[in-house]
Amino acid sequence: MTYFDNKVPPKREDRLKAVIAHNDTICGLAGKAKGKSCLIDDGDRGFTQGSICLLLPALAMLNTLPDNVVLLHSALGCGSCTHSQNANVRVGSNVRQGKTKDGIWLSTALDETDVISGGEPKLEKAIIEVDRRYRPATIAIVAGCVPGIIGDDIDGVAQKLQPQVNARLLPVHCEGFKTKIWATAYDAVYHTIGRNLLEERGISNPAPEDELAVFLEQQRLAKTVNLMNVSSMGRVDEQELERLLNSLGLEVNVFPVFAHPDSFVKATRAALSISTCPTHDDYFLGYLQERFNVPSIIRHMPIGIENTSLWLRDVAAALGLEGQVEPLIAAEEAELKEALKEFRPLFEGKRVFVSAGEFRALATSRLLQEIGLEVVGIRSFHHDDFANVEYEKLAGEAKSDYVVDIANVQPFEEANLLKRLKPDLFLGHANGNMTAAKLGIPTHVIYNTGLSYIGYRGVYEVARRLHRQLKNPVYNRNLGENIRLPYTENWYRAEPFSYLNTRGRSVNE
Amino acid sequence: MSEHFVERARFMCSLGGAVGTVTALPGAIPILHSASGCAGNFAWTQNGGSGLQVGGYCGSLTVPSSNMQENEVVFGGEERLREQIASTLKVMDGELYVVLTGCVPEMIGDDIFAVVNEFRDEGAPIIGAITGGFRGNSYWGYDLVLQALVKDFLERGLPKVKGKVNLWGIVPYMDPFWRGNLEGIRRLLELLGLEVNSFFTADDSLEAIRRAGEAELNIVVSDIYGQEAARQFQERHGTPYLTLPLPVGPSASEEFLRLVAAKLALDESMVQGVIDREKSRYYKILEPLTDCYNDIDLQRYAVVVGDGNYAVALSRFLADDLGWLPELTVCTDQVKEEEKVALAGRVEKLASGYKTKLVFETDASEVLGHLNRHWPRSRGEKFYNAFSPAFVVGSSLERELALQLGAPHLSVSFPVANRAVLDRGYTGFSGGLRLAEDLFSAVVANR
Repeated sequence: MTYFDNKVPPKREDRLKAVIAHNDTICGLAGKAKGKSCLIDDGDRGFTQGSICLLLPALAMLNTLPDNVVLLHSALGCGSCTHSQNANVRVGSNVRQGKTKDGIWLSTALDETDVISGGEPKLEKAIIEVDRRYRPATIAIVAGCVPGIIGDDIDGVAQKLQPQVNARLLPVHCEGFKTKIWATAYDAVYHTIGRNLLEERGISNPAPEDELAVFLEQQRLAKTVNLMNVSSMGRVDEQELERLLNSLGLEVNVFPVFAHPDSFVKATRAALSISTCPTHDDYFLGYLQERFNVPSIIRHMPIGIENTSLWLRDVAAALGLEGQVEPLIAAEEAELKEALKEFRPLFEGKRVFVSAGEFRALATSRLLQEIGLEVVGIRSFHHDDFANVEYEKLAGEAKSDYVVDIANVQPFEEANLLKRLKPDLFLGHANGNMTAAKLGIPTHVIYNTGLSYIGYRGVYEVARRLHRQLKNPVYNRNLGENIRLPYTENWYRAEPFSYLNTRGRSVNE
Repeated sequence: MSEHFVERARFMCSLGGAVGTVTALPGAIPILHSASGCAGNFAWTQNGGSGLQVGGYCGSLTVPSSNMQENEVVFGGEERLREQIASTLKVMDGELYVVLTGCVPEMIGDDIFAVVNEFRDEGAPIIGAITGGFRGNSYWGYDLVLQALVKDFLERGLPKVKGKVNLWGIVPYMDPFWRGNLEGIRRLLELLGLEVNSFFTADDSLEAIRRAGEAELNIVVSDIYGQEAARQFQERHGTPYLTLPLPVGPSASEEFLRLVAAKLALDESMVQGVIDREKSRYYKILEPLTDCYNDIDLQRYAVVVGDGNYAVALSRFLADDLGWLPELTVCTDQVKEEEKVALAGRVEKLASGYKTKLVFETDASEVLGHLNRHWPRSRGEKFYNAFSPAFVVGSSLERELALQLGAPHLSVSFPVANRAVLDRGYTGFSGGLRLAEDLFSAVVANR
């Protein structure tokens, strides 16, 4: 019995004890990581700002799949976020398949009548019509909050209708109120992939009598690795990792974004699965190992010099390529460090605040240290134990202890912190730079699928872009001088974590 | 159009429209009583659809939100809302706070007004609106916010002031050109000597909005958006309303000025003077285009795809002002029967005499089918009267259609992913010039 035998994957607060409300420091977290009891109890906030739910990253993955149609089963608004994700789908399909294509997303748009009488009949009719109109390979049936409350059974509907349609039906559970850890999205999508798409479909095996073909295929598969990408890397980042893995003689199967659903079975035959981020893939890699005997590596995000080299060494060790990897690393590092010299003078002594998903924030912080910046604060969107080793790496290099805010965005805490810390530079996720920008601080986006961040190339490109930002930071300075954030003066005077763990209590009087 | 689903809906839910509307009010702060992802969903939607405009003073991921979880679903969310409002009043610096509900609290039966009224009774500037996503689309969310303002924010019993009007019907962020369009119409009305309360521009204030009941007329430049709120306004504050189409370009602006003037019994010769001056200015500016318009042959067939405001307004401008041939007009809203009739009336008798085929279709992938049925494709005849040269005016979702037709394209109606919009607008006489510039620029982009 695995998680994948259930209709719904577990939420991460249960499976990984992931937390979203905690105030700590880099040395504090590193210390906890070393200690026996490293679990942190999740807190809460008596004041909260909106963020995203698991539906958004889940759609970011599903919309990339060629020949897939996303059918949202929810109220009309759920999924409208795809209007921005569509830019990634268009560019991504152009650079990978040579053709700019819009995503196709649909909604059953549940209304007041459906809320009262149930949405299953509407969903059934929608699935039939979608199958006929678009003739897709797969239909991802994605449930939002409404069916989660009125009790619609999307798995039951999919099972009932599967014999009547050509498309493979993929139920995906994204009821936003059920988990506060939006990284559960990756589990939700992997869950349906694991349950529905890993069997043989349209892939032909060499005939067993053709011994040479069988042998060659085995040879090839022994050198084929899955490179997991849940949408946190653009093509340019995939290419950097492919370049490095190819240098070790490996063939790369990028999975699952932009891969055709009919080809997913390839993932079960690879010699190794390599994750670039433990926040993304542990749920699925465990399943690949257990069910298909595909081993995996899941530690170190290849962002930054040290992290990229550690990541490569792990891959080499798993496949017995130690002899080849060291010269590669030595050459890459030497060349990169030489190239970075140009930018160092502008970075020296500059203080930076970093905000993103936990692994991205921590790995990027390490990169920033490596190119000469001083990290003075980190905000991670959540915390789980996978990141302990990263806190240790950062603490080891820190000039002095600094704040780590575990928060699912919550820019009010950040505004307060930034006013105190006054960093010279801020790196934040999508929709996460506006607070710093309006305070006049130079900013740069820490994740954008059109830009390069990963591998040795990524270090150079990040440095180059930060150098550009710092050469003329006047756009934000002008904003800061002419715009104010919507917070009270009292709030800036209050302690930044005044609302942490205050639920149900009257505070901050 | 399918009865069972909407393809790539060109709107959010009513909560999404309500949040955008509140964030566009001067100094206003929305408080979402909803699941945590609603705010992010709207921010990403604006990012992809509103011409690169996200948020405002307190939008995007800055908006306070109760972030309801299973605990609230099981035990009720009112206590959490009470806590969230109390803390919001301390942390967030607003002149008006508007509690907006998502699907979850409505399905579990939270009574937000009971909570909101506790704070109102203590003097907090706070109101609420029931905007759960399953109640309708974002245009309706705009209407719901206006209804809430009319009911709970506007001062009642104010004497009417001659020459004061309110302007409604343009939905912030859902019309990516909302600022420019409001300002364009505001300027038109100011030409008549009127004092205009447009609620959402940089020149508006909450104090003026509070006194909106003084207006002698509400002007709603939409057959759909803001209609119900205007009706309730009339009921509560005794101000009648006049529904007019979005005035894009000289012909529609002239008619707009005449109808407003007639309703307010303004001096006819003054109105005529304004129109003469503005038209003369418009054509003086257009004049130097004449050579190139002819030399390059800039007349085009067109497919127009847009929301309930834009579809008919753009077709009218193309047909009556530009002399183009908008054969097919596609309205992408989900509209009621009486709204269909009203919209059809807007393009039935165009001054040019040009007839456009009006269809109602929400789904981008179906538009080509409508065109093929209207204008049969070539069957290999030697001489074929092609739908060419053509132009597609629509949203960024119509880029695929434009590629299929081999036509240039301009995004005007939501979603506008491929243009940066700040205060550009297409309303009024000047707006017509802006639109002409953008259309012709797209035609000659590779020149």
